[in-house]
Amino acid sequence: MTGILGVYAFDKVWNVSKFLYYGLIGLQHRGYSYSGISTLGDRGFSKASASLPPEDLPLPDMKGWSGIAYTGYDKVYPYVTEEGALVIDGVIKADIGEFSRELYRDPERAIGEAEGVFSLIFLSKDGVMVGYRDELGIKPLEIGGFGFDLAILSSEASGIAVVGGELKREIEPGEMVYIDTYSISYKRLKDSRPHKYCSIDILYQSRIDSHVFNLDIYDIRVKVGEQLYEEKKVDGDVVIGVPDTAIPYAIGYSRRSGIPFSLGFTRTGSTIRTMLASDDFIKVIGVQLKLNPIKSAVRGKRVILIDDSMVTGRTLKNTVFSLRSLGAKEVHVLIASPKIVARCPYGIPIPDERELIASNLPDKEILKIIDADSIYWLSLEGLFKAIGHNYLCTGCMTKSFPKRWW
Amino acid sequence: MKKVLLVGDGARENALAEALGSSEEGYVVYSLSSYRNPGINEVVGKTGGRYFIGDINSVEEVRRVIKEVNPDFGVIGPEDPLFHGIADEFRKEGIPVVGPNSEGAMIEKSKVWMRELMWKYSIPGRLRFKYFNTIEEAAKFILEYGGSVAVKPAEQVGGKGVKVVADIQAYLSDEKRRAITTSVGSIANLVKGDVKILIEEKVDGPEYTLHVLTDGKSYLPLPLAQDNKNAYEDGIGPETGGMGAISGPGYLLPFIDQEEFTRSYEIVKITAEAIEREVKQSYIGILSGQMMLTSIWGPTIIEYYARFGDPEASAIIPRIKSDFGKILELLATGHLSRAKVEVDERPSVVKAIAPLGYPLDKNKASNHRIWLDLPKIREMGCKVYFGSVALEGNSLLTKGSRAVEIVAIEDDYGRAVEKVDKCFSLISSDTKLLFRHDIGRTIDQQIEKAQIVRYSYKRREARGILGISADWSPNGGLW
Repeated sequence: MTGILGVYAFDKVWNVSKFLYYGLIGLQHRGYSYSGISTLGDRGFSKASASLPPEDLPLPDMKGWSGIAYTGYDKVYPYVTEEGALVIDGVIKADIGEFSRELYRDPERAIGEAEGVFSLIFLSKDGVMVGYRDELGIKPLEIGGFGFDLAILSSEASGIAVVGGELKREIEPGEMVYIDTYSISYKRLKDSRPHKYCSIDILYQSRIDSHVFNLDIYDIRVKVGEQLYEEKKVDGDVVIGVPDTAIPYAIGYSRRSGIPFSLGFTRTGSTIRTMLASDDFIKVIGVQLKLNPIKSAVRGKRVILIDDSMVTGRTLKNTVFSLRSLGAKEVHVLIASPKIVARCPYGIPIPDERELIASNLPDKEILKIIDADSIYWLSLEGLFKAIGHNYLCTGCMTKSFPKRWW
Repeated sequence: MKKVLLVGDGARENALAEALGSSEEGYVVYSLSSYRNPGINEVVGKTGGRYFIGDINSVEEVRRVIKEVNPDFGVIGPEDPLFHGIADEFRKEGIPVVGPNSEGAMIEKSKVWMRELMWKYSIPGRLRFKYFNTIEEAAKFILEYGGSVAVKPAEQVGGKGVKVVADIQAYLSDEKRRAITTSVGSIANLVKGDVKILIEEKVDGPEYTLHVLTDGKSYLPLPLAQDNKNAYEDGIGPETGGMGAISGPGYLLPFIDQEEFTRSYEIVKITAEAIEREVKQSYIGILSGQMMLTSIWGPTIIEYYARFGDPEASAIIPRIKSDFGKILELLATGHLSRAKVEVDERPSVVKAIAPLGYPLDKNKASNHRIWLDLPKIREMGCKVYFGSVALEGNSLLTKGSRAVEIVAIEDDYGRAVEKVDKCFSLISSDTKLLFRHDIGRTIDQQIEKAQIVRYSYKRREARGILGISADWSPNGGLW
């Protein structure tokens, strides 16, 4: 999971390094185990990166009138050579060094010939910034402006808004944007329809204040919660969402059912994402760090607990356990996505099938492990209904993938 | 036959020339321009006038041409000749003219003069402001009031880019300081007067322009228009004179309602009256309010033009069905009360085409050849106005600014935009051309933006605090 950012000043008096730094913090919910910034100035490229989230990246004392940034898990990025700096969200079947050289020589051809599923931002040493959004629309990319001074490319609007910029529009799938001092131009390089927006990005990864994939994420998640009630009417006393992603689902379920919504948890520390955490220790400890249940909200109540997804089930097991230990009478689990049963070939770090509980065990067994009173997953049709169309990549739920690039 | 002398050389003057040249009064159109604008040249030729090439800001030059032509009236297009007293010169020679005297043109030339006037006469839509003589004083004030301020040069500096430094989070203050220092430095070098820097409270909302014609006795509002200032696609990039405009349907824009129009008209009208009281001369010409719908006031003045906006003129003038050339004469001669404006209900879209390099590098944008299939463009139903492009021999050479403007009037914005974009494909050059595809396609976003500020200013109004705002800092106190 990845966030990418590019900031371009039309006047070289600007130093954009802090725009990159703070903009990247606005994208760290997309993945944060590694982050980096690269700027272009009088003396070429500078780079700062570390195996830390953007907010912990030592504030780099960098100068440059233009630059790119990366937050995610792939330590290759920002990939910086003498000729250019590159960040990619997604997967590409190419030698990255060769691809970067091709991008410098002829970006249109390089992107046209590259196999994979990726959005990218490339900044050449000559001061040309190129952005591209993957032709299926699986990966997002948006463009914004800051006064008369800057152009900003960002995975999500949050990377633009945090520095006071204004979102202008989404880059269309298959569209390349070319920015230099004297112009901005667009060109559709590939056309692949229907578009296949990433369901996990919509249901889980995007920030709730984002507008991506032509959708207002918050509204969609509330609708998914309402759809869950249409599909599974649970008799309960309180609806609780696992923070932060699942809260809008719980709000939707509560609205439609009339059962009160309550904050069941408070947080310790920063927003550690358990689905993204890579080692088992963090997965076990992670849930405790993330969530401390609020006793009075659950004691003696039949709790309807909504979570955004279930991967290994371990997080959920811990959550149900702590609700019960605080006196919940019943715990009914609703998952606001269809079952995740397959690894993602496009760069979302979903574990292998053998680690996915839903692809290995029947519901009865899962219920036993989670120790819930009932469990239900959103249906695929329900997902389409809530979103309003089925131009979605649901590969990790259906094993039917829109593009074979490998 | 009556003779009219038109001063100026851009697309706006081309639109004015066309209105004069097609008037039922059968005016003979004479032009004074700094180069041979092919569009104005066509009108001058057709009406049997004469094309003078010379310095449009020189009083002596204008006097010489007036003596030679002996026009019945004059029309001044751009602001610089107004600042240089060209309208005064017409009147000294006894020639009625569209355009205020240099004292009246202060409303555009000096933003400090403009703001002081608005406060002195308690004109609604005024923003709080401060002005400073030195960069240091201005910077100190900016740092004191970390809130939202807009930094502007106190004087009109010939269309040079003005950097509005947006308010960003406190943690960006360091970056902000550096950027302000640079922009303040570059502005200060351009301004000659004592007062160098104007700081205003920063506001946000959709922008629009209201032009009001006046002969000092009566007032005639024209339909609203909206200019688009960013140079590049999607409203990103450096500030320009304007890369395109929209106007209509009717007198309004889809995001400005009748009540807001009426209020805007009131503001511009009482400003014209205030100027007259202040300089003790009639304001005869066009006063255009460059306005914004803000949460503080609703209709708010960002700045004033003492003339037509360009490209707004190209969006508005073709929509006027009555004899606009005749209206200009009535204005100049003090008979505006007899004029009637009939407006095409349908909306218009105008887009400018500029050579690569505009607006940052004039040399890069100059001396490029440009070709257009004029008969085909006209056959398709688009109008073409020539701007910064000179007829030299048989070819058209760019002069470094916006070269051509294309206009379409259609039943709705969607169709008008499509037509303009199609006509653009019939224009080519030996350099890359800047053209904004997004203009006219963001109406819904403008409507949403307007609705957001409308909630706030209506609430202020209901509570009786319309226009009241303040800032406070521990050291600087209340501002």
